[in-house]
Amino acid sequence: MMNKMKCVLALLCCFAFSSLSALAHHSFAAQYDRSKPVTLKGTVTKMEWMNPHIYFHIDVKDADVVVNWAIEGGAPSMLYRNGWRIDSLKVGDEVTVDGWLAKDGTNLANMRTATLANGKTVFGASSGGDTR
Amino acid sequence: MKRGVGICAIYAVFLFMMLPVNAASQTSMRKDPRDLSGTWRNQYTPNLADALGKQPPFTAYGAERWRTVDTSKDPTGICLPPGPSRVFTSPFPFMLVQQDNVIGLLFEYQTLWRAVYMDGRAHPPDILDYPEFMGHSVGRWEGNTLVIDTVAINERTWLDTAGHEHSPKLHLIERIRKVSDDKLEWTATFDDPVFFARPWSITRTFTRFDDKTDRIMPYTCNENNRDVEHLKPNQPNLDFKYEPDKQ
Repeated sequence: MMNKMKCVLALLCCFAFSSLSALAHHSFAAQYDRSKPVTLKGTVTKMEWMNPHIYFHIDVKDADVVVNWAIEGGAPSMLYRNGWRIDSLKVGDEVTVDGWLAKDGTNLANMRTATLANGKTVFGASSGGDTR
Repeated sequence: MKRGVGICAIYAVFLFMMLPVNAASQTSMRKDPRDLSGTWRNQYTPNLADALGKQPPFTAYGAERWRTVDTSKDPTGICLPPGPSRVFTSPFPFMLVQQDNVIGLLFEYQTLWRAVYMDGRAHPPDILDYPEFMGHSVGRWEGNTLVIDTVAINERTWLDTAGHEHSPKLHLIERIRKVSDDKLEWTATFDDPVFFARPWSITRTFTRFDDKTDRIMPYTCNENNRDVEHLKPNQPNLDFKYEPDKQ
């Protein structure tokens, strides 16, 4: 029981820490609109595991039109420490991204969660938790 | 042949004897209250007012700067260094390397460093003419507390992500004290008569970071800073009211 408790506490700490990883190098609200949540379902076309934040790209099919979206996540080192790796999300993976739209109206979103077709969530809460 | 075996045996005994001594000396080093060396995890604080419990005591000028700050202009958004205190409130670990005459602070965030001169020197007399993004630091011991005195902090740096700014007159005093083998207490005092009516301080805790299973990683900010082209003007404090009597 105690071990389970510890495990749950560790997971909660991990989640809390990762959710605070955030856009440490500038304000969230200068780039994204918290009042515009978005869900995007698509196929991964590219992974950029680079600083200051990872980006991956997905093809989203809407009717017969395919639109490529850029998705921003957390800093690579923070993600690595939380157990994620460069291949946690691979080109060709089907993924559903919950996040927030960019203020400038481009096809860019900040990721809150990314969920694979098998239900597994990756890069959990890595970027959208900053304060402002 | 026998001689070789004998030498090997003596060497093995020597190694065996040395191991516990090394382990013991490392433990005693860690227990030394003036040994701050190691790798440490910061306490991420994107808004210093959260640590202070209220807004800092602004001057009228400082209050107006806070009211109108545009967070899309954050200098770190274009990968400029965060400054000597903000780097300690970022969500990235740092390594402290300690010698008697200098202490090196090696930060994961933006792969930055600070040198704290401990040899009794003063700040260079012309340092204010040549400000540095991470400032110029000299240190001393007061009891078991390391006191770091930093000046000439480039005014382009911000104190936090929220947008607290400072002038070239900012005088930063940091006090670092070991409160246990695995925790450091860091108190930063901001003395800037242009932005603040009086000095104010925040205290944060650094926790020892397991550098056997983890490591300081690269953070090369310009590697792929796509964010910069998407930043839009953002002034979140326009409703702020300056009430000098209440601060």
